[in-house]
Amino acid sequence: MISKKKVTIEVGDGAAIPRKKDRGIVDAWWLSFIGAIVVISYLCLAKPEPYLRILKFVFGEIKSTPWETLLSLWDSGVGVTFRVTILSIMVALVLGLITGLGRLSRNRLINLIASTYVEVVRGIPLLVQLFYLYFALGHVFRNLPSLEEAQVLFAAWPGFVTYLLSHGCDELKNMSPLVSAVSAMGICYGAYMGEVFRAGIESIDKGQTEASRSLGFTRAQTMFMVILPQAWRTILPPVGNEFIALLKDSSLVSILAVADILRRGREFASESFYYFEAYTMVALVYLVITLVLSKAVGSMEQRLNFYDRD
Amino acid sequence: MFKKFLLALVAVAFMASVAQAKTITFAADATWPPMEMVDAHKNIVGFCPELVAAMAKAGGFTAEIKNTAWDGIFAGLASGKYDAIASSVSITDERKVAMDFSDPYFEVKQGVVVREGSGITDAAGLKGKTIGAQIGTTGYFAAKKIAGADPKSYDEVGLAITDLNNGRLDAVICDDAVAADYALTNPNYAKSLSLGFLITPDSPEYLGFAVEKGDTETVEILNKALAAVKASGEYDKIFAKWFGK
Repeated sequence: MISKKKVTIEVGDGAAIPRKKDRGIVDAWWLSFIGAIVVISYLCLAKPEPYLRILKFVFGEIKSTPWETLLSLWDSGVGVTFRVTILSIMVALVLGLITGLGRLSRNRLINLIASTYVEVVRGIPLLVQLFYLYFALGHVFRNLPSLEEAQVLFAAWPGFVTYLLSHGCDELKNMSPLVSAVSAMGICYGAYMGEVFRAGIESIDKGQTEASRSLGFTRAQTMFMVILPQAWRTILPPVGNEFIALLKDSSLVSILAVADILRRGREFASESFYYFEAYTMVALVYLVITLVLSKAVGSMEQRLNFYDRD
Repeated sequence: MFKKFLLALVAVAFMASVAQAKTITFAADATWPPMEMVDAHKNIVGFCPELVAAMAKAGGFTAEIKNTAWDGIFAGLASGKYDAIASSVSITDERKVAMDFSDPYFEVKQGVVVREGSGITDAAGLKGKTIGAQIGTTGYFAAKKIAGADPKSYDEVGLAITDLNNGRLDAVICDDAVAADYALTNPNYAKSLSLGFLITPDSPEYLGFAVEKGDTETVEILNKALAAVKASGEYDKIFAKWFGK
């Protein structure tokens, strides 16, 4: 008699998600979290020059009205990092769902396209993809017709097609750095997300599909009304993981002159020559953010695993 | 046995030759044409490397140039990874606090590169515009000083120029020699970019070799060598080769 033992091996650059089971990690989480907070506060109180100045440079300043403070935070390095991360994960989720379904599709062509996308994207380093999408494609898009030219060019087409094409051209031609960064990150993580969706959907017992089909549901109805609602429970925790990994990888967009936490830290360091101090602060800020997020993902996982606790 | 002996001899000879001539290691961010750049054969070429080579000859030291990314080039100097920076470092009061400088070897102004036909000819024309520059350069500091403009820092000036060419920026500020190289002579950009104007500085801006704070020995060697190269006319020859006139 061979007893089936469930083994989960998690390898990835996601943060270690704390679970109730392993006390060790919970302790490690508290230790790093409190440690990081204590170090930040100590540095800012004991040596406000330059540490507090760096923190303000990265986070934005406290202004006279709450609205202005919020605006300052929105434009600060932390605000930009969160904006890039949240927008990218939204792009990645949409792309991931399409890719995951495509990978499971019985249509050979759709399957091939989705699989090729995953293979190509996973084979290229994210940094190279960012450079490619930003600088190489930027060069290609530059030669697109401008809004007025496109309107003339597509005038023969039906009205809404003209509108879509000309405004699409215009949008691509004048793509802002933030949009380029978000689409590059989204395209990259969409491939990984596709695998998450595929695994999540495949984890649902085949009997569900058979039962649903027997009851007269179409294939699409089965997928969207029976399989996916159940698969979400499996899919969401890795999505949370990817979110944290993406937040960390978003530091790469600093090469595209997107003013995120790292770029702000570097700008500070390159002017004041406080290299050690600036990068210490940047590392601590990232650490606190990922720790908080990993705790949130951990508790979400706990709630979703309500039914299969062992 | 004979082989071992020979090897030992070679090693001793090598060490002796090193001991004779002092080696000064320079860091250069070779992305700043025509001052310092990498050619098709991966050699570091440009005005400054040639000047350094001439100075090494005149001053009797061995010069070694290490290609180093600009962001962090000063941190590397402070941690002793190289003896000097030969990378078009402008001598500013802020930098003088953190490092020492040789005598100036070049005068620069900040040049504003714009797209052909943009009509930007003065600082007022940059109001509300997005300006790119290399991180931590005097060009970026100048961009920050322009009222009402949105400055953006890039890792390399070449990336900023590409973004300007691709329409994501309205102007790029860098040393005038570099600006002229991109806007006037570079075959990729000469047609689409032009030199908008030069920013007149409050006080003249000079380039110098940066050394670690308190390293008077290296400063002395460099100043002597620079003076010798200027006196012998070698400096003017190199200048004429890269900038004409």
